[in-house]
Amino acid sequence: MLFFSYFKELVGKEVTVELKNDLAIRGILHSVDQYLNIKLENTRVVDQDKYPHMLSVRNCFIRGSVVRYVQLPPDGVDIDILHDATRREARGG
Amino acid sequence: MSCSGLDDVFLSTSLASYLDKKLLVLLRDGRKLLGILRSFDQFANAVLEGACERVIVGDLYCDIPLGLYVIRGENVVLIGELDLEKEELPAHMISVSVAEIKKAQKAERDATDLKGSMRKRMEFLDFD
Amino acid sequence: MASEEESTVKEPLDLIRLSLDERIYVKLRSDRELRGKLHAYDQHLNMILGDVEEIITTVEIDDETYEEIVDTWRCRRNYHYSRD
Repeated sequence: MLFFSYFKELVGKEVTVELKNDLAIRGILHSVDQYLNIKLENTRVVDQDKYPHMLSVRNCFIRGSVVRYVQLPPDGVDIDILHDATRREARGG
Repeated sequence: MSCSGLDDVFLSTSLASYLDKKLLVLLRDGRKLLGILRSFDQFANAVLEGACERVIVGDLYCDIPLGLYVIRGENVVLIGELDLEKEELPAHMISVSVAEIKKAQKAERDATDLKGSMRKRMEFLDFD
Repeated sequence: MASEEESTVKEPLDLIRLSLDERIYVKLRSDRELRGKLHAYDQHLNMILGDVEEIITTVEIDDETYEEIVDTWRCRRNYHYSRD
């Protein structure tokens, strides 16, 4: 639940999602669910020339299972809270 | 529907806003499907009406009509809403017939196959 | 009591717990490597890393000579969530 809760806190912020097929998309995090599926708004593809079919996509749903990385906003990380949450999660699991 | 948990409903809400809209569905094998979303579930299984596959080879493209399609969720990478105000593809891209795009696709495939087979042939020489 | 619980290693993931707030090395699929400070992780090994360096190694075959060209990509990023 740690990452689900964490991403819920990031809603409204700008992130870059890099997929396992190397496609990287920047956009505003609109919502996230328990599977870490992600919905982005106001999206733009980082390497647009390589992905012409994405030209008119402005909003998208990304399946959680295909995400490699999410680049986070610098102010989206409170390190102490993350440490505590991780230790709590480690005890629970 | 009614027995699914609160979180499932949350996800459903997520794709619900795409219902009856023209979408681009990217699949894990790289295929690009276009169509109108008529139904979905919590696994991102989806029903597309008037679906077609958009094949792109270099600057050439072709929309191959498919009809009514059910997509199994595990194959879905991304579902994007197409902004109808915007051009779907860059202006320099050229629409070609199904036969032409298949030919271009084959030429592209043959080129990568050749690269792969040459690599295999070289590999056995690689003793270090 | 609490400190004892914090320091014992009974299962593999306990070792990772002890690496919290340390710089770690992560080897990923498809010839990717990460170095960064571990801020969070879960049982799936989803992680949040800070001040990350990513190294991607690709092997290209030269069109004419069929030589293998090994290329490494380096990039630094500030914060980074990486999925299992």
